[in-house]
Amino acid sequence: MRRHLLLVSLLLLAIAGLALWRQSRLPRAIAITPTLTGQVEYCLTCHADLPEISQSHPVQTFGCVLCHGGEPLALDADLAHSTLRGGSNPSDLSVVEASCGGEKCHSGTPQVFRDHIQRVTTSVQATYAGAIAQVRYAFGAQPDLTARMGIYAIDGLTAFDPVQEISPAIQAFGLNCLFCHLSAQPMPSQEYDRWGGCAACHSPAPSRDDTTVHKLTTALPYTQCNKCHNRGNYSLADVQFHPRPDAPVDRLHDYYQPIAEFTRCEWTLDCADCHTRQEAMGDGHIYNNKKEIQYIRCRTCHGTLNSLPLTTTVSDPNDLALRMAFLDPVIDLKVGDTILVTDKGEPLWNIRVMPGIGNATPTYELFSKAAGQRFTFRPVMGSACQQDPDQQEARYCHECHATQR
Amino acid sequence: MRPSFYQHLHPPTIPSAQARLRYTLGAGGMAVFLTLVVGLTGILVTFYYVPTPEQAAKSIQELTFLAPFGWLMRNLHYWSAQLLVLVVLLHLLRVVFTGAYLPPRRLNYLLGLSLLVICLFMDFTGYVLRWDEGVHWALVAGTNLVKSIPLIGPGLYTFLVGSSQPGATTLIRFYAWHLFGLTILLIGIGGWHLFRVRRDGGIAVPPPELRPDAARIPRSELVRREGLAMLWATLVLVGLSIAIPAPLAPSIQEAGTSASESLAPWFFLWVQELLKLGDPFTFGVLIPLGVLLLLALVPYFSPRRLSPVELGRWFPAGGRNIQILVGVLSGAILLLTLLALLALPH
Amino acid sequence: MPPRDNPLTRRSFLSLVLKGSLAGSALIGLGMLVRYLNFQSEESAPSQFDLGPASDFPLGSRLPVPQAQAVVLHTDQGFSAYSLVCPHLGCLVNLTSEGFACPCHGSRFLPDGSVRNGPASSPLTALRIDENADQHLILYLH
Repeated sequence: MRRHLLLVSLLLLAIAGLALWRQSRLPRAIAITPTLTGQVEYCLTCHADLPEISQSHPVQTFGCVLCHGGEPLALDADLAHSTLRGGSNPSDLSVVEASCGGEKCHSGTPQVFRDHIQRVTTSVQATYAGAIAQVRYAFGAQPDLTARMGIYAIDGLTAFDPVQEISPAIQAFGLNCLFCHLSAQPMPSQEYDRWGGCAACHSPAPSRDDTTVHKLTTALPYTQCNKCHNRGNYSLADVQFHPRPDAPVDRLHDYYQPIAEFTRCEWTLDCADCHTRQEAMGDGHIYNNKKEIQYIRCRTCHGTLNSLPLTTTVSDPNDLALRMAFLDPVIDLKVGDTILVTDKGEPLWNIRVMPGIGNATPTYELFSKAAGQRFTFRPVMGSACQQDPDQQEARYCHECHATQR
Repeated sequence: MRPSFYQHLHPPTIPSAQARLRYTLGAGGMAVFLTLVVGLTGILVTFYYVPTPEQAAKSIQELTFLAPFGWLMRNLHYWSAQLLVLVVLLHLLRVVFTGAYLPPRRLNYLLGLSLLVICLFMDFTGYVLRWDEGVHWALVAGTNLVKSIPLIGPGLYTFLVGSSQPGATTLIRFYAWHLFGLTILLIGIGGWHLFRVRRDGGIAVPPPELRPDAARIPRSELVRREGLAMLWATLVLVGLSIAIPAPLAPSIQEAGTSASESLAPWFFLWVQELLKLGDPFTFGVLIPLGVLLLLALVPYFSPRRLSPVELGRWFPAGGRNIQILVGVLSGAILLLTLLALLALPH
Repeated sequence: MPPRDNPLTRRSFLSLVLKGSLAGSALIGLGMLVRYLNFQSEESAPSQFDLGPASDFPLGSRLPVPQAQAVVLHTDQGFSAYSLVCPHLGCLVNLTSEGFACPCHGSRFLPDGSVRNGPASSPLTALRIDENADQHLILYLH
């Protein structure tokens, strides 16, 4: 009895010490109470070394849980991450409304330019409606090129289901060719690595060695677009994707498909310097083909023989152009500056009329969105250009201005 | 000199043969100790727990991760509760297999059986208070089972759930049951049960003239043994609490997750397995009640076969029919529990 | 050689160890209990308030800010602020023509927050208040 008592009391003392030690092993919680939620979160206990994701989403305002989900009070990794939205990517289209949505965030009204989610989810990049319509038309499953189906059902489109298709070619299309829309898993090899949803464009690609960069940006270099674009060719003959066999290095000679010639701006500027928000993210309407939404022309920036490019003067301090310039400060845009604008009214906020130049026709300065490089250019009007007013597509400008490769 | 309260708790001496661990397994006493631990730790966790659907799982997370030694208090509460159910079952089996239900102990046997039921409901209501995804479907299935009882089912359901489906009212009612309703019953019937032990003459023994061994141990020795047992039990409880944490899951989501991995709490797994066989009322209510009824009738089955001479040892010959009955029942319940566990996707 | 008249026997040593370890465990348990019960979860209450444009508080005004339980004064020396929480037992004081008056136990304060009479023995707490770049007044509670 005595021996037992002694043994058990010593063991009790030892286990009490063990409990003390266990408690000391608990991580010291780092709390933030974001101003938008007012609820305390402890994510930073483990993730304090993450950089701020962007200037416009400071962690002191948003916290982590508002966008990512998860359990704010848990200090155990599995429990804390068990309710994450979209895994590592809360902008995945399946959960984007819960993560990025809201009146004051990214699913508000078009008037205040906060309708990103409505626009992206109906865009050709997300629905793939154009490609699906073309293939189905080519193999006789629909009578014309009107978009009837998307990857998912939305706004008049039904969901494309390869299993329901009669033609084996269309079924093969469903198996082999659906890697490049915003809700798709990219192809397995490293150069195709990208996220889905908003992050497909706005975040750097996930890396293989877990050093993923926590970043949201509007400064998108052409390499971001080339995660999907310029990767190779689809063949309707064998309904397969044929990836390009080379690894493009030199942008002029290697990058674009060797079937066309390009002008200097097309291999010097980034895609985002010309292609507008509506072109890339849609305007909320379903289109049958990407050509219907792409409307940028050479004349948008350069004008024609008879007209200067359209401009607008920034007058409202809350103007969209100023907000865009704030997000990507390559240009010191101010109220009173005159910038170029497209014929749909989209501001080309990185292209400004240079003030005080005493020529009859103005000079323009462009700041590239990804690198901030400054270019100046003159309009067509008043130059020796020999264009035909009825032939304004890019291919006509290429006749003279394309660079020999 | 009139004996003090302490001296009332134990008789001055008890027969040495029946005080042996091999005879009683110390199960009854251990149940009392575990009840004290579960009650004390329960009060401690009540200081942090918030009984609303939005806050319940969150407050438990705060308790576990942020309050100093909160994880220890919660795990102690969890482990003492689960071990209590096991020890109470062990005590029931011991009482049945040693024939300690004979008169004058028949009432006490029934009191003990009621305590078992109260314990199970304590464990179930405590389980539900977590209000997280792990308990969601057990709560839905369990309350719907009540609804399946004819005549009184819907009324009983509303009484327990407080509304047409489990929600905030349910949580606060289960909280009231767990903290007050069942506690009052537990203390009342438990106190009566312990009183009856003394009143019925202590641990079941043969009459004095038939006892082979007349040795007795004094109160002080009994208390010493109980103290040692409590220390060992504390050691095991703290060890378990450090090594294996109580289950924790995210709060019940309104958007509803699938019930694919859902399980009843371990002591109701046999009922969950039964429910796979047919309609809820028969398999989920009638059969378990039937088992309870059979157990309750144990002291009344051919009582004259077992005589007081055979008391004080395991498996007396006169109680063979009871032993076989309870043995088969226990085996069946154990088997059903194992089947339920094996059916888990790995 | 140790004195023979008061030897530490093996029995008493073991008894000491026994009592010591039990006492040790009990003390550790008590310590855990105390730390457990003294824990304070994160305060979610805000510690600073944006009171809006400074022009809302004209010269000579003495305006209460209920959501911060404070009062803002605008004098020739600039902006100042006091907590309206009575330093006696925490009731909110009312603004009167002579200063401040606490309805609970009768403490009275002058307009500058100092005690005129009453059970309170310290003045109303002065709070930091600044004007930020957008000409908004920011009140700090701590």
